[in-house]
Amino acid sequence: MDNTPPVVNVRRYTVIRNIILVWVTVVLFAAFLLNIPKINILEHTARNLYFHVPMWFTMMAAVFVSAYHSFQVLRSGDLVRDIRALQAARVGAFFGILGLVTGIVWSKFTWYVGTDVWWNFDPRQSMVSLQLLIYGAYFVLRGALDDPSKRARIAAVYNLFAATTTPFLLYVIPRQMESLHPGAEGNPAFSEITHPIMRLVFYPAIIGFIGLFWVMYTQRVRTALLKYRVTHDPEL
Amino acid sequence: MALSPFIAQEVAQEAQDQATQATAYDSVWAGDAVPTQALSGMEQVMLSNDKLYVVLAVVLIIWIGIVILLLRNDNRLKSVERTMEERGTSFDDGL
Repeated sequence: MDNTPPVVNVRRYTVIRNIILVWVTVVLFAAFLLNIPKINILEHTARNLYFHVPMWFTMMAAVFVSAYHSFQVLRSGDLVRDIRALQAARVGAFFGILGLVTGIVWSKFTWYVGTDVWWNFDPRQSMVSLQLLIYGAYFVLRGALDDPSKRARIAAVYNLFAATTTPFLLYVIPRQMESLHPGAEGNPAFSEITHPIMRLVFYPAIIGFIGLFWVMYTQRVRTALLKYRVTHDPEL
Repeated sequence: MALSPFIAQEVAQEAQDQATQATAYDSVWAGDAVPTQALSGMEQVMLSNDKLYVVLAVVLIIWIGIVILLLRNDNRLKSVERTMEERGTSFDDGL
């Protein structure tokens, strides 16, 4: 940890944060104001494409960030990397939960209208819940280990495992099964069925939410780092 | 349960093919293809205005999530500040 350059570049953070906040605001306006094609069952809820789907892209990005820093922990044993891996995983799981809940609401008022169903064991929902449990175990595992450097290494190994399962549980397995989600059973996932006007908002929305992740993640890293400097005791 | 979301999905995809010709926001009642009970009060609200309130609910969920995270960050910062005050900490650890 000695002689490292400042761990968080606050000026860069501030600039990017401001850009992201304006960016997301514009995306929000575009998401509601642009006319979209009318689709039976979906109607206006097609706009959830701009909100629900980016949650998963963001979680995936968070998983990459977390795994990268866990890998660096194993290489260098640097506890700052451990702090980064933990915070990325936490904010990533947070976006995962948001994605799950928004998905439940969306399906309830479209495909499950007129039924009492909120949860129908759609493969993607089930796999994603499993994925969140795997990350839950990561947080619990950290709590079980007292020695910071040992904790950092063991948690890093587990985190790499968790990151490895993510693409399979989120993308590979659900596409093999019957699902409400596009892309199931070899159907076109996105490219053929999405109107250009929706892409115009969708891609910026992904960038916006990943940016939002980065802002929140950086805030938490800064705080966790401050705590570490004050107490010399890295967070569980 | 006589639920058939997969049929519903096919209907949705067929409708997508016609979507380019459809006028914007003509109101097709969404429950048509799905076996239905009487709509609950909540559903009546959520399905009105071409289901726009579903989008509102989703955006609000995300917003509430962000607010919770924000408050948690705040508490965390507060606890560090408290520790610093208690200890009269000054940074001399060279970090």
